[in-house]
Amino acid sequence: MAVYVYSITSKDHPMRLDDVHGVGEPSSPLRTVTNGSLCAVVSDAPEDLRARRRDVLAHQEVQERLMVEGAVLPLQFGMTAESDEAVRAALEDRADEFRERLRSLEGAKEYNLKVSWEEGALLRRILLESEEARELNAATRGGNGTPQMSLALGELVAREAEVRQQALATGIVEALRPYARDETPSPPGGRDFLNISFLVAADEEEMFQATGTRLANQLGEECEVRLRGPLPPYSFV
Amino acid sequence: MTVVPQGESGISRGSTSSLYDVLDLILDRGLVIDVFVRVSLVGIEILKIDARIVVASVDTYLRFAEACNRLDLETGSKQPTQLTDLVGEITEGGAEGKSKGALTGAVEAVKDTLTGDGGEEGGDADEDEEEDYEEQDNEGGEGEQEEPEYEEEPRQRRRQARRTSRRQRE
Repeated sequence: MAVYVYSITSKDHPMRLDDVHGVGEPSSPLRTVTNGSLCAVVSDAPEDLRARRRDVLAHQEVQERLMVEGAVLPLQFGMTAESDEAVRAALEDRADEFRERLRSLEGAKEYNLKVSWEEGALLRRILLESEEARELNAATRGGNGTPQMSLALGELVAREAEVRQQALATGIVEALRPYARDETPSPPGGRDFLNISFLVAADEEEMFQATGTRLANQLGEECEVRLRGPLPPYSFV
Repeated sequence: MTVVPQGESGISRGSTSSLYDVLDLILDRGLVIDVFVRVSLVGIEILKIDARIVVASVDTYLRFAEACNRLDLETGSKQPTQLTDLVGEITEGGAEGKSKGALTGAVEAVKDTLTGDGGEEGGDADEDEEEDYEEQDNEGGEGEQEEPEYEEEPRQRRRQARRTSRRQRE
């Protein structure tokens, strides 16, 4: 029977998982597979596992529960092993590495930050600040001007937008960096221009959060700042 | 902690959207053990395509130009300037801009559609319970839109911004 693997923790983890459910419908009960000082949280794998919201949420809830009481190495969603024995063997194979990672992540949490700039606000800002863009805009409004002029306007605005987004992204990251132990940027999706995860130690969490709130308030007029956390350290395992 | 300020689009959306915001971490990050099998999850591969759709194109430029043409600068002129100040303030000493930025609006992503950007904010979490983070070959398709689609989003979304004043500001 295939085994769905959620996370790896230390054997000493309190592992209070009574009211947390595994993936699948009906969800299978969580259990642990232990080898040496390491422990994997697993359940029987459902036959038709897919990335359903329910299952992704279940995966996430296991991590969130575990991280409250000790370091956890969250697996990527969807990892299954052939059997408990295979899980045990994997724990054995990379025991040193897992122990080391658990030690280094002790007390640290991930925070993920995504920021988007409301397009109208950004374009308006560019037009107000760039005379060239303003002139081109005036010349092309109402269907006037040549297609080349529209193209020039668009290109200029796109360039200006990127410059501003990059500058703001840099500023935001630099404001938060002093309170983070590590950071992992990801390609931003959708309208976001920034997507980055920070690893924050317990004694810096308060300052990190306060800085995040300050940024969100300062940027709130034009930007959407989504700071999520504390999260299991997905980006730092 | 979750910070979503009261910006124009900063609507607080409850826990479902929090999940959306960390979906990329859960599906794309996390520990991978290579002797284990990653269940074939079509949706995940599609998710990864996310935003990397061509940014610098004639199409994009024209869309930007059009969006600018539509802006009502009169209204806009009373926008607060604090952002500029902030940019100046917090970027001093390092404004070279190493971070990677995608052009807002030029890139349309999977996750926008996922979050049902158009109008799901209301928190209909429950009825979405069965929603897959996968392809949209979806059974229930009640036509219109809110089926999760992993495709480039229609470009129109932001277009209906303002059609009001065509006055030129000179």
